[in-house]
Amino acid sequence: MSTARRLASSNAALGIIGTLAAVALWEICARTGVIDPALFPSPSLAIREAAGRLTMDTVADNLMWSLMRVFSGFALGAIAGAAIGIAAGWYRGFGTIVRPIIELLRPIPPLAWIPLAIIWFGLGEPSKFFIIFLGAFFPVVTAAYQGMRSIDPVLLRAAQTMGLSGLPLLLRVAVPAAAPDLATGVRIGWGLSFGVLVAAELVAADRGLGYMIINERNTGGSVGVIIVGILLIGALNLLTDAALGLAIKRWIGRWHGA
Amino acid sequence: MPDKSNVAQLRPRAVEAVVGGSSASRFIDIAGVEKSFAQRGGGAVSVLTNIDLTIAENEFVSLVGRSGCGKTTLLNIIAGLENATQGAVSIAGRPVTGPGQGQGVVFQQHALFPWLTARDNVAFGFRKAGLTKAQRREQAMDLLKLVGLEHAAARYPREMSGGMQQRVSIARALALDPQILLMDEPFGALDELTRIELQQELLRIWEARRKTVVFVTHSISEALTLSDRIVLLAPNPGRIKQVYEVDIPRPRTRTHPRFNALYEEIWSDLSS
Amino acid sequence: MRRALANAVAPAAAILVLLVAWELGVRYGFLKPYQFPPVSRIARGFVELSTIGFPTGVSIWSHTLITVARVLQGYVAALALAIPLGLVIGAVPVLDKLTAPLVVFCRSVATLSLLPLVIVWFGAGELTKVFLIGYGCFWVMLSNVIAGVRYVDPMLLRAASTFSVKGLELFTRVILPAALPRIFAGARMALGVGFMVIVGAEMIGTIEGLGALIMEARTFYRSEITIIGMLIIGLIGFAITSGLGLLERYLLPWAANLDQVRR
Repeated sequence: MSTARRLASSNAALGIIGTLAAVALWEICARTGVIDPALFPSPSLAIREAAGRLTMDTVADNLMWSLMRVFSGFALGAIAGAAIGIAAGWYRGFGTIVRPIIELLRPIPPLAWIPLAIIWFGLGEPSKFFIIFLGAFFPVVTAAYQGMRSIDPVLLRAAQTMGLSGLPLLLRVAVPAAAPDLATGVRIGWGLSFGVLVAAELVAADRGLGYMIINERNTGGSVGVIIVGILLIGALNLLTDAALGLAIKRWIGRWHGA
Repeated sequence: MPDKSNVAQLRPRAVEAVVGGSSASRFIDIAGVEKSFAQRGGGAVSVLTNIDLTIAENEFVSLVGRSGCGKTTLLNIIAGLENATQGAVSIAGRPVTGPGQGQGVVFQQHALFPWLTARDNVAFGFRKAGLTKAQRREQAMDLLKLVGLEHAAARYPREMSGGMQQRVSIARALALDPQILLMDEPFGALDELTRIELQQELLRIWEARRKTVVFVTHSISEALTLSDRIVLLAPNPGRIKQVYEVDIPRPRTRTHPRFNALYEEIWSDLSS
Repeated sequence: MRRALANAVAPAAAILVLLVAWELGVRYGFLKPYQFPPVSRIARGFVELSTIGFPTGVSIWSHTLITVARVLQGYVAALALAIPLGLVIGAVPVLDKLTAPLVVFCRSVATLSLLPLVIVWFGAGELTKVFLIGYGCFWVMLSNVIAGVRYVDPMLLRAASTFSVKGLELFTRVILPAALPRIFAGARMALGVGFMVIVGAEMIGTIEGLGALIMEARTFYRSEITIIGMLIIGLIGFAITSGLGLLERYLLPWAANLDQVRR
């Protein structure tokens, strides 16, 4: 096969070509003035502007803050969601009480909780933590509950014939059986938590990547910084989601069919 | 009151087994078992009535019948997975109160834990034996060797064929060192060739390990190939219609004259 | 029979118990009325919102209408662009491979992070919000349309080829219908995204719309209005998901559980 043909069929190569072409197009449009560089600077200009106005330290600092927030909020939200979802799926009585309340609150987007969170917890960290917690909680609790309800009953029966019951049955058989659904929920929860983090930082924060961007705008700074900030967030989201996907694949992909 | 009106039609040894005999011959004692479900609009659906049956130790008994005759329900009751509405089942004199009392069960769908390898699935059956992890794995390997699957020990269920999965299921059930092996159409989902292979394998294991086996199937020829006795159940409501003694020496082939004779007999009783 | 009745009553009972506990908690001083406005205050707040409005002159209905209008504008625009583009990209595998990383990246960009940028471009007016919603909806819809077209069951394609169906006819008569469940799923997701975006987008730089309402209410210590706003947002969200679900089942009755079986 000729190199051109081989290139055309390679997914990675084509992907790279396409991306580079898009970036080049952007650069050209900005340079030739098709787009006003003050509004939408070329990649090279944006990076230069950003380098000029921000130090690596500020960026790193804001980055760490954002990551810490999202990790802690997500972790607690996912753990709480998993625990409650599993319990609701396993213990009928608990489920009957808890499910309606969760179903009632679920359609409310996490962002809509921001004002209430501020009312309850003030303007500091706890309110942001709470919102990010919610972002992870709802998808995970739903996925955990669904996962528990759709366990193949024959697995439980088989475990019972081997003498398992009660808590060991739940932990050693039911939970692993529900794990694939739970993992999907966790992945969705992470994506939501991340999106919520950015929004929360835009609206009410004094540190973090979201704050960094909106502060730039409010102090009449350079658009380049804003763009770099946006791209940074996007890249971070992509990387973390990919990492999570890989981790899930390693733990569950081995034995899970589809 | 148990209905013994069909006792006269039973063959001599079967009569003794039904009416009473030595304790070994009453290893599994099913007495007056009935099972019914409450229905939505009121009233009850009767799934099993008047089930009286005794099974001797190390005997291989098949439950045969068309769908709806309650054979799976009966098996579940013996396994302790379901409760009889009336009557009782006892094993070696002790009443069955729940699962995990030493009944090994093999289901139609393999019911292997998808997150464990073949070896770990079998090792799971050794949980209660008080062994160390290494010992459990070693014993698991022995059982896998018995079913001819030691080479697949590290595979996950989804990486195995249907026949392999059922073999691992049997190995896992054996890990419990059960007094009885209860099998609910274990080969039903497999292709013909694999089914014949596994039938031979099961007989080999049964002869080597000497267990009491209760085997549910809808295939008369499978029952004839495997069992000492065949219990024919009829539906609506589920009841024992007939018990047959299979006095053909093993290994059995379909060409044996008694095979066909019995087949015809069971078939006509099934269809009538 | 008893089970069905219990299932219907239990949710209502659980919520009722919660509400009673809330009300009592405030009455007996366990909960601060600012943080947990009593149900009576919420009810009065609702009446005020429906008549006088908050801020004065803007009733709850206006807020709702404005929010919904913004969402719909952005949503429809996004779909109008994403569907044709997605069909084309999906139909030409090379195009898909070229654009894949770009699409994935743009979808990963948190839509609300664009807010400062878009304000620089379009100011703080309506266009900004509609644009943001459009952005969020567009990429989600696009990826789903592309995936719907690309991942048609190969068995269907093979069956079609035995009938000598190819080219444009293959596309319109086999690929497109087969892709519809996924496309609908994308439309549902996109609307959900749009809805989430607007709530956030309205919290900055505007006083009209549900997102703005709940923020403004907080500034004036009217926590009961915040709660009403939240409940209405939730109600709309719920109506959207159920409505779209029903619509999908009506238009695509044959696709009942297909998207649960697929990837």
